[in-house]
Amino acid sequence: MKPRALAVTRYTAPPLVVAVALLALSCGRRPAVDTAQVSARRIQAALPARDPDSAIWRDAPEHPARLMVQDVTEPRLTTPGVELVRVRAVHDGTAVAFRLEWDDASEDLIPESGRSSDAVAIQFPLESGADVPDPAMGQAGKGVRIWYWKAVWQDDERRARAGQGDRIAALYPRASIDHYPYEAGGAARREMERRYAPAAATGNPIAVRPQGGAVQVLMAEGFGNTGPTATQLGTGVGRWKEARWVTVITRPINAGPDLAPLRPGVRTYLAVAVWDGAARHTGSRKMRSGWIPLLLEAP
Amino acid sequence: MARVFNWQLGRTMSYWYSEQRPKRQFGAVFDINKCIACQTCTLACKTTWTSGRGQEFMLWNNVETKPYGSYPLAWDLQLLEAMGEQRWNGQTYEGRTIFEAAPAGERVLGIMKHSGDYAYPNVGEDETLGAVDKGAALSLPQQIWMFYLARICNHCTYPACLSSCSRSAIYKRPEDGIVVLDQSRCRGYQECVRACPYGKVYFNPSTGTSEKCIACFPKIEQGIQPQCFVNCIGKIRLQGWISPPAQAKEDNPIDYLVHVRKLALPLYPQFGLEPNVYYVPPINVPDRFLIQMFGPGAPAAVRTYREAKNDKTLAGLFALFGSTERTIPYFKIAGDFAVALDDDRKEFARVPIYEPVHIRRAENPLLQIIRSNTT
Repeated sequence: MKPRALAVTRYTAPPLVVAVALLALSCGRRPAVDTAQVSARRIQAALPARDPDSAIWRDAPEHPARLMVQDVTEPRLTTPGVELVRVRAVHDGTAVAFRLEWDDASEDLIPESGRSSDAVAIQFPLESGADVPDPAMGQAGKGVRIWYWKAVWQDDERRARAGQGDRIAALYPRASIDHYPYEAGGAARREMERRYAPAAATGNPIAVRPQGGAVQVLMAEGFGNTGPTATQLGTGVGRWKEARWVTVITRPINAGPDLAPLRPGVRTYLAVAVWDGAARHTGSRKMRSGWIPLLLEAP
Repeated sequence: MARVFNWQLGRTMSYWYSEQRPKRQFGAVFDINKCIACQTCTLACKTTWTSGRGQEFMLWNNVETKPYGSYPLAWDLQLLEAMGEQRWNGQTYEGRTIFEAAPAGERVLGIMKHSGDYAYPNVGEDETLGAVDKGAALSLPQQIWMFYLARICNHCTYPACLSSCSRSAIYKRPEDGIVVLDQSRCRGYQECVRACPYGKVYFNPSTGTSEKCIACFPKIEQGIQPQCFVNCIGKIRLQGWISPPAQAKEDNPIDYLVHVRKLALPLYPQFGLEPNVYYVPPINVPDRFLIQMFGPGAPAAVRTYREAKNDKTLAGLFALFGSTERTIPYFKIAGDFAVALDDDRKEFARVPIYEPVHIRRAENPLLQIIRSNTT
């Protein structure tokens, strides 16, 4: 009598073979995998800064970035979240675009109590070279710069374009509110703004984002002191589909010393972090990588 | 973790930061026995501070019915269960605080509050512990009971919200010990929402940041009590300043009620935060429940309160509750009056300790009818 497992294997094998063949046909060739570093090819075409599905990405080598739980500072993550981010990069001599792809069973957009937004970030040492700062948010005197993409910010823009109202309307579509004193007119409104939305009144960069966009550029010298840089240059576009985020973050290659300048042909480093909103990841509750070598192809 | 002294536990305990007490500490006494859950305090706060977008569910001040009410939902039950046994030996707490019970990787033992947990502020309202048996008559101690618990931020000496914030965006004001959340620094991580055992920090989904009770500090700075105090129609609240026990002053109303007479007790002292809102416990509730909620001093506090009307100092002090908008740093008894004194111990308010009693006979001899109490 044949073992049962063998019979099952023989029965299921043909569909599997067909599926693999179909996948190969539909996707074209898989990008080369570079486990040693993130290699950003120089391209002549426009950067696919807003297109995670652009054909350009197929030619970019893919680096499988392994993430680990953030366990340096409390609160730490004790249960692993996203453990793999596939990173590809291309540049045009002026800006570099990173394509980050990771599995996430749910699309988490608007944070509310007990729920946070999906997010991803790429971190660079402020100064490249062998003496890199601590990969966990840098350290005193040796800062890092971070391009931080947050799903809710992208959703804010989408709703604004679609005329779908603010976060409260999105969270509570059936709610009916008679009146917010905040929406009084003139001087009364300004007073109400101070009283009822103090974070906005103080210009908190989480509450007020005059430049818009889904990316915030941050500086840090260790945990607990993250803040936005004076110059905000970066874009981010994410797309969640079939339990997977694909997000493109674009940053300038050299926009001055405050934005961690990169030099094509000179190896530096990047690190990646992912927050899973469904698992209530925020702040230091995150999955992160160590430093990963980064090389922008020289002209 | 540092070692700090928590006088409410009668011992030192672990805390994220070292002991650093403010110049003076905001303190308050709530007399539970007088609260009728009219929610005037709740509305006074709501209309003053949290009428904005994203604050729809926020009640920095709320009044819930115990034993079944809670806002946010099951804030205390969940934590009490997670903490395990809470054991007192006399006046010393031998169990673990939420700092000492923090799981690996956490700064405190916290319970995450979900947006739905704020959706039922009136859950359990007016519900008593069980039903009245058919044919039962009222007897003492009562077979069934309930009471109203008015709550604001406790402006704790060892705040869990403060210790949990990885950005150090929460701090105690050195001048008055009021715990405030720096609205310019908060990045909305919600660690404070998770950490506060009293559920008194709230996430605003509109701004993406957290907010909390500020003890109406703009009023406090002018020597005026907060909105929820001065609007209390039951006059159950008194705001002042609480000293550490060794520095307690007999003519400080809060010190007198808390330290001298041990009549007003902290809410869930076993959490370990040294909360600074003190409650005169309800007199109609079994000791076991009171001890769980207010610590081992509760039965004695109830006994003292039952005799308070015959104690001129206590009766006078309670008469000062709600008698003036101004904060009462000191008081004295002068004859048949209780007198409120300012920081320089100068009088600014005076109330009779006992109101005159008029007994109206049931019969009206002039009209030869029985009077009715219907209004």
